[in-house]
Amino acid sequence: MDDDARPWDVAAPLVRAAQRGDALAMDDLLGLVTPYVTRLCAPIAPADTADAVQESLLAVFRGLRGLRDPLAFYGWVRAVTVREAVRVARRTAGETPADPEQITRLRDLLPAAAEAAGAGTELTTEVRDLLARLPVRHRTVLVLRDLEGLDERTMAELLDIPEGTVKSRLSRARSSFRKAWTR
Amino acid sequence: MNGPDPIARLRVVAAGLRAPVYAERRLDLPFDLVWAVVADLERELPHLIPFVREFRVPAGDSERKRATAVDALGVRGPFEVRLAPGWCLMQSRLVTMGMAAVPDGTGTRLAVCGAVRPALLGPVQRGYRRLLGERRARAFFRAVERRAALR
Repeated sequence: MDDDARPWDVAAPLVRAAQRGDALAMDDLLGLVTPYVTRLCAPIAPADTADAVQESLLAVFRGLRGLRDPLAFYGWVRAVTVREAVRVARRTAGETPADPEQITRLRDLLPAAAEAAGAGTELTTEVRDLLARLPVRHRTVLVLRDLEGLDERTMAELLDIPEGTVKSRLSRARSSFRKAWTR
Repeated sequence: MNGPDPIARLRVVAAGLRAPVYAERRLDLPFDLVWAVVADLERELPHLIPFVREFRVPAGDSERKRATAVDALGVRGPFEVRLAPGWCLMQSRLVTMGMAAVPDGTGTRLAVCGAVRPALLGPVQRGYRRLLGERRARAFFRAVERRAALR
């Protein structure tokens, strides 16, 4: 594969073939998109990542034929995955408030997460631990903002909530870290 | 973390194909024995799938091969085959078939999936699911058990 090829360009012909019922293309597409889906699910549903990944992949492939523009594949996968990961996380998550000591240990979340996303690597254990202690709604906005780099309007559309709510959730999620810094 | 195991992967492919045949069963046989039967396509597939009379696979252990199937009526068709431990996905112009297995304690969890290529026969799939899907899958699992017992 060409190292410079953009992921959506690589995916597009596979999407078209999979939409025509080509199982081998579907399998290739599954291999291509699973790391991305996992990277989104791990911080949103840390206790049930495998379930969230599986539910997301099922939803993606069930809905694949309805996707009109194959170049929009990754954006659409992101929307489907976030919806499924939030659903799975809410199903099982004990929404326990963050433990201040944990937060102190993990105050580097934002730069570390951005760096991990930039390098395309997995989040560090510390980052995951901290995210796991935040409520699902806070986890989700942090992941979309700092890992995926989405703006507030796109996040609002994706999560189907008003833009103002996105802003306040982001602000509350981040205030946990500010508190940690002052300790 | 690693990707989905072969069975989870087959569930996703089956969902994408809207496959009329998809079933899983735990067999009380070790994984190596079950997979030895399933992966021996040339010798075993005609015993496992009623409409396959012959299945010719080129020698070698490549994960991607082009095989030739001869159906019950004597019609030949090329198949693309992907074969790896616990994973087999095969596709011709007309049909798709997948098999996946993972160890489950001392036994094996085996899954099978079958679909026709939608552009050609899509509307047939829904009726087929109700009428024949489950029966086909049950017959497949019984056949794997029977063939494993002969080894």
